[in-house]
Amino acid sequence: MEKNLLHRKQSLYQSLDANFGIQKEVYRGQQYSQIYFARLHLMRTLLYSLIPNWKPHLPVCTVLGLEEGKDCIIVGTLYKHMRLKPSILDEYSKERSVSPLVQRHNFTHLDDNLVLEDESGRVKLSGCLLPSTYVTGNIIALHGKETSAGEFLVEDVLEAGLPQQIERPIQLGEDKYVVFISGLSVGRSSSNPLQFQLLVDHITGHLGDEKEQNIAAQIVQVVIAGNSVEVPHGLLNGQNLGSKDQSRLFEPIKELDILLTQIAASIPLDIMPGSSDPANFSLPQQPLHRCLFPGSSAYNTFRSCTNPHCFELDNIRFLGTSGQNIDDLGKYSEANNNIDFMERTLRWRHLAPTAPNTLGQNLLPCYTWKFL
Amino acid sequence: MNTGNSRKRSAAATPSPQQQQKHHAVMEEEDLDEDVFLEETLLQYEEDSQVLRELEESNAIKERLQKWKRPSLSQAYIAQTQSISFQQLEIDYIIAESHKELLPNSSGQAAILRIFGVTKEGNSVCCHVHGFEPYFYISCPPGMGPDDISRFHQILEGRMREANRNSHAPKFVRRIEVVQKRSIMYYQQQASQSFLKIVVALPTMVTSCRGILDRGIQIDGLGMKSFLTYESNVLFALRFMIDCNIVGGNWIEVPAGKYKKAARNLSYCQLEFDCLYSDLISHSPEGEFSKMAPFRILSFDIECAGRKGHFPEPTQDPVIQVANLVTLQGQDQPLIRNVMTLKSCSPIVGVDIMSFDTEKEVLRAWRDLIREVDPDIIIGYNICNFDLPYLIRRAEVLGMAEFPVLGRIRNSRVRVKDATFSSRQHGTRESKEITIEGRVQFDLFQAVQRDYKLSSYSLNSVSAHFLNEQKEDVHHSIISDLQNGNAETRRRLAVYCLKDAYLPQRLLDKLMFIYNYVEMARVTGVPISFLLSRGQSIKVLSQLLRKAKQKNLVIPNAKQAGSEQGTFEGATVLEARAGFYEKPIATLDFASLYPSIMMAYNLCYCTLVTPEEVRKLNLPPECVNKTPSGETFVKSTLQKGILPEILEELLTARKRAKADLKEATDPRVKAVLDGRQLALKISANSVYGFTGATVGQLPCLEISSSVTSYGRQMIEHTKKLVEDKFTVLGGYEHNAEVIYGDTDSVMVQFGVPTVEEAMKLGREAADYISGTFIKPIKLEFEKIYYPYLLISKKRYAGLLWTNPDKHDKMDAKGIETVRRDNCLLVKNLVTECLYKILVDRDVPGAVQYVKNTISDLLLNRMDLSLLVITKGLTKTGDDYEVKTAHVELAERMRKRDAATAPSIGDRVPYVIIKAAKGAKAYEKSEDPIYVLENNIPIDPQYYLENQISKPLLRIFEPILKNASRELLHGDHTRSIAVPTPSNSGIMRFAKKQLTCIGCKTPLSGSDQTICKHCKGREAELYCRSVANVAELENLFGKLWTQCQECQGSLHQDVLCTSRDCPIFYRRKKAQKDMAEAKTQLDRWNF
Repeated sequence: MEKNLLHRKQSLYQSLDANFGIQKEVYRGQQYSQIYFARLHLMRTLLYSLIPNWKPHLPVCTVLGLEEGKDCIIVGTLYKHMRLKPSILDEYSKERSVSPLVQRHNFTHLDDNLVLEDESGRVKLSGCLLPSTYVTGNIIALHGKETSAGEFLVEDVLEAGLPQQIERPIQLGEDKYVVFISGLSVGRSSSNPLQFQLLVDHITGHLGDEKEQNIAAQIVQVVIAGNSVEVPHGLLNGQNLGSKDQSRLFEPIKELDILLTQIAASIPLDIMPGSSDPANFSLPQQPLHRCLFPGSSAYNTFRSCTNPHCFELDNIRFLGTSGQNIDDLGKYSEANNNIDFMERTLRWRHLAPTAPNTLGQNLLPCYTWKFL
Repeated sequence: MNTGNSRKRSAAATPSPQQQQKHHAVMEEEDLDEDVFLEETLLQYEEDSQVLRELEESNAIKERLQKWKRPSLSQAYIAQTQSISFQQLEIDYIIAESHKELLPNSSGQAAILRIFGVTKEGNSVCCHVHGFEPYFYISCPPGMGPDDISRFHQILEGRMREANRNSHAPKFVRRIEVVQKRSIMYYQQQASQSFLKIVVALPTMVTSCRGILDRGIQIDGLGMKSFLTYESNVLFALRFMIDCNIVGGNWIEVPAGKYKKAARNLSYCQLEFDCLYSDLISHSPEGEFSKMAPFRILSFDIECAGRKGHFPEPTQDPVIQVANLVTLQGQDQPLIRNVMTLKSCSPIVGVDIMSFDTEKEVLRAWRDLIREVDPDIIIGYNICNFDLPYLIRRAEVLGMAEFPVLGRIRNSRVRVKDATFSSRQHGTRESKEITIEGRVQFDLFQAVQRDYKLSSYSLNSVSAHFLNEQKEDVHHSIISDLQNGNAETRRRLAVYCLKDAYLPQRLLDKLMFIYNYVEMARVTGVPISFLLSRGQSIKVLSQLLRKAKQKNLVIPNAKQAGSEQGTFEGATVLEARAGFYEKPIATLDFASLYPSIMMAYNLCYCTLVTPEEVRKLNLPPECVNKTPSGETFVKSTLQKGILPEILEELLTARKRAKADLKEATDPRVKAVLDGRQLALKISANSVYGFTGATVGQLPCLEISSSVTSYGRQMIEHTKKLVEDKFTVLGGYEHNAEVIYGDTDSVMVQFGVPTVEEAMKLGREAADYISGTFIKPIKLEFEKIYYPYLLISKKRYAGLLWTNPDKHDKMDAKGIETVRRDNCLLVKNLVTECLYKILVDRDVPGAVQYVKNTISDLLLNRMDLSLLVITKGLTKTGDDYEVKTAHVELAERMRKRDAATAPSIGDRVPYVIIKAAKGAKAYEKSEDPIYVLENNIPIDPQYYLENQISKPLLRIFEPILKNASRELLHGDHTRSIAVPTPSNSGIMRFAKKQLTCIGCKTPLSGSDQTICKHCKGREAELYCRSVANVAELENLFGKLWTQCQECQGSLHQDVLCTSRDCPIFYRRKKAQKDMAEAKTQLDRWNF
């Protein structure tokens, strides 16, 4: 039975992950201060260039140069004092509380307050700045003055704002789709292999009528954005495992590989590591190792990518993470929804502002990656 | 002092050394004096020498200090139309010419009391009190008439003159009066007898006069006679306070017109005046007068630039920074934040920074600050033994004779002397006693050490304990580097220094030391400074003397008799029936047992009847109590004891304070009242100890042994009653059982299954048994333990319930949770096990936890910081007689690198490592950092056997059969892992070869990761490597961001090396482990 042969659409792919890759760097005792320092310098240069358009009449000071009652602008890194922020020192607290600690989803509190820091010092902030919006690590410019109590009364705030936009290529007619998948969690007790198979069949065009297959044919790229497998945690405690446990550990990954092989056989596939994947913890997470995917990695359509991941398709740029940055913002600040958080990261021009304070960040020198 | 000084020197034409010193004395005086006083001072002290003056140099700094002056005097004070009311903080005395206007009839030298205090407006006061004379009593020999007395006076005067040949006093014994008094010792039927009150000229003469009378004196007609003296050991200032009804820290009023403004100010106080002691009005601390004056508290800390490998020494190492924080009593925020630095320092927000080019200027500025700010209380951490002596010694080395005038008296230098303080309770401590006239010193280190039992008293761990905060610790070897850097690094140091000055203030507030100590002084009537420098007994003595004065009694000075009286049987502890009780255990407590026994049986010095007297007086049996220890005391119908009376007052006052506390709303009033009820409780309990202190002021073992014997009897009695009454035969569901009894509490298992029922029975038992005791002895039911783990006497743990719905907390006594010489692992393990057993009721879980921990230990997976043992290095190796682990280690570290080795005064942390067979324990200690860096294997057996086994077995033996076999020798102990040290001798000959990550087979090629047999497990092995990295990265992030947070800066590297901080080693280890794990992960990138 001869049918119309559907051709999958093609597009031009260019990876921009080089910024997030860490190559053969050895850890030599660097500390986080260097990250903050470099970040402050980069962002301050940027903010300084914006100030003449914002409030040209005001002098720019350092925290140390503040004079009581004098209006000025200061630029620095925010630090948020949080009463509920979990601390590793709590493990050592004298009295174990009788009621077990409830795992919180949000650590903000009404008493939280903000401090602005530059290399010269810190100053406590008061006034119109809402502590619940900001997190430790934001770099902003503030207009205000020092009060007699030694605090800085904020009158206005300047964030770095959106950068110069890349010109969007004009495309006519042709629709193309990119599929984003995340949270497959193969290996979790609740995950259903049938559903996943259904998805694979849909993407690869083995499902539905012609109309549906038509749509499938317009998919040019699949991106799996993290949390693809869930390895039973108890198995990874460093002890030698019996052969049964070895297979339990490996089983989900093998299953994932089988399914990915099916996808990769028909369409370009990017896989990003997420918080539950067998990858390192700190951002940027390095690509999942090829040895985990002996089947799918044989295809040249299969790409193991970093998290965050950046690429261009037909000159349209994509940038995304597996979500740790947004989840962490959700723990330490407040917004109506995750879109707001994402918008904020754009305005702050910082992909993961809470790193390294509450979110792991690699110490190896790759500072630049976070600046949009 | 540069320009002015040199100019004057040349004019003074090289004075002799002695003179030179005098010059200095005046010089310092001038730089702050107003001109009015100058002339007179000069006439007095420097009649013939050149006037030296510092001019412009210190003016600038003075101006800056000016703004911190005390509030200026109101017009009413200046016009002397207002009476002066002030809260006194310090009382001392000086010897000077007696005041001609106030005491026109006396001449020569006299003791003048000085009271320092603060008015409610915040003005400082120095009040000179005249006319109070030192005296003591002796009993009057029978048949002594007025003529005999005057003869006796002459003889005594003659003997005194002989004994004090160097003195030029015109008269030693001022007068001798006959007074009617009674000795406090023993029950006496006659109301009073004659005593001689001997009034001497100066307080020091009391001692010398007592000596003469003790040894015996030849009196015509009576022969050689020695006298027992009464109240001759009372310190003069205390004598004055007692006689004028002044208690420590109370308010004193001098009415207008009764005081005379001093013609010449001797002090720096704003109000200085003279008055007669009889004109003082002492207010008892009630109502308006229970408040605190706004006194000024200075908290300070110094930093010194030590040389590498040495603890700073004042002879060589300069003082580089002094941080000062001044707070007004009762305010939350400091009034002044200031740092004085040597060399420039970048500004700090909200802090006043004064930078100087020379160390002399720093010290002088600090002295000027003290004088301008005029603090009433000086606090700090270990200031008495370090900061203050260091500053004073340093000033001496620099030749600044003018520096140590820190007190409130012009020209008077601070005196430093070595002192030992010893008491039964606190042991013997060496310290430096520093007298700063008119200012109270309150060393938080001493106070915390006195009042709290902690495993470590470093400022870091004390603030971690009370304030829940870690303090950044900068090692003293780094301090010099920071100082030698630039203004920024010095600023870094200044921030650190400020924090060290701020923490003592926070501790002071948090622990309510001011309130508690002032209240203690008010309750016991001693000056505040006594509370830190002296033991318990002076407090009881002060109360006893006050009461005795009211009752017309006198107290013999019977010190000598004490030491021979021997010991007596202590409190009873009923045998503990060790076990794990899963039924509620009710605790019956005697409320203030010893005080109530003394009250119930009227036990006192003045109710005690000696055995001879018993026979002689033939007292009717209904009027006396014979105590179980065989002593006889009369009942209160015949003679009310004064100890019971004191106790009654204390306990009533406590009840009242507690009631007031409930009603009070103002937090400050609450703090005062809470401090007071606590002070009252402590005081009531120390009375018993006072009678039993064999080297104390007035020991009377008849009293103390009677008290304990009654106590024992009561515990036994309670046990018997409970076990007799609460039986199945008596109509109860179960037979009650007393499982343990301590000094003042009895633990009963009523056999009922619920907390509620046990509480009901507990209350019933308490009421029933209380009814059988003489008032005010009372048995109270307070709490239930359920479940209860009784290990042995004084060692138990349980969940404490005071209401039937929910337990309050876990309570553990005598169990290794706070021992100082244990590693953290023991504490964690014990706490966790207790928690699992008592709260979760999960014994198998606790056993499993122990097994896992032991297995982790043997497999070398233990967090090293849990294994660190810390000891203070007090002497060098040669001074210790026995070799100890930490001293040996300090020596070894010095050989390795003198710069970072611990020096005397440091705490030495160490771990026990595996060493050659037969190595001594002290040879097996090693620096934890060194261990981490070189992969040195620790000795798990040592930790197993010497650290954790005993405490664990203690807990588990009542619960498990074969606890030792089960816990310490099970399967989980079979597998061990020992890392290969990277620096040992054998490793130099070893060739490094990569092994397969999966099975450790050596690999031939250097680019391989796993062998061919493990190829199939590739993914699994990779998962494990990467999971390890992920975990370490996570930990690393948490640890280092915490340290950044503590440090209070995001843009600067973490420097802290606080070995007291629990995460210090973990941070180091995470750093190293992460680097290693990453290297291993890199091997996969083929």
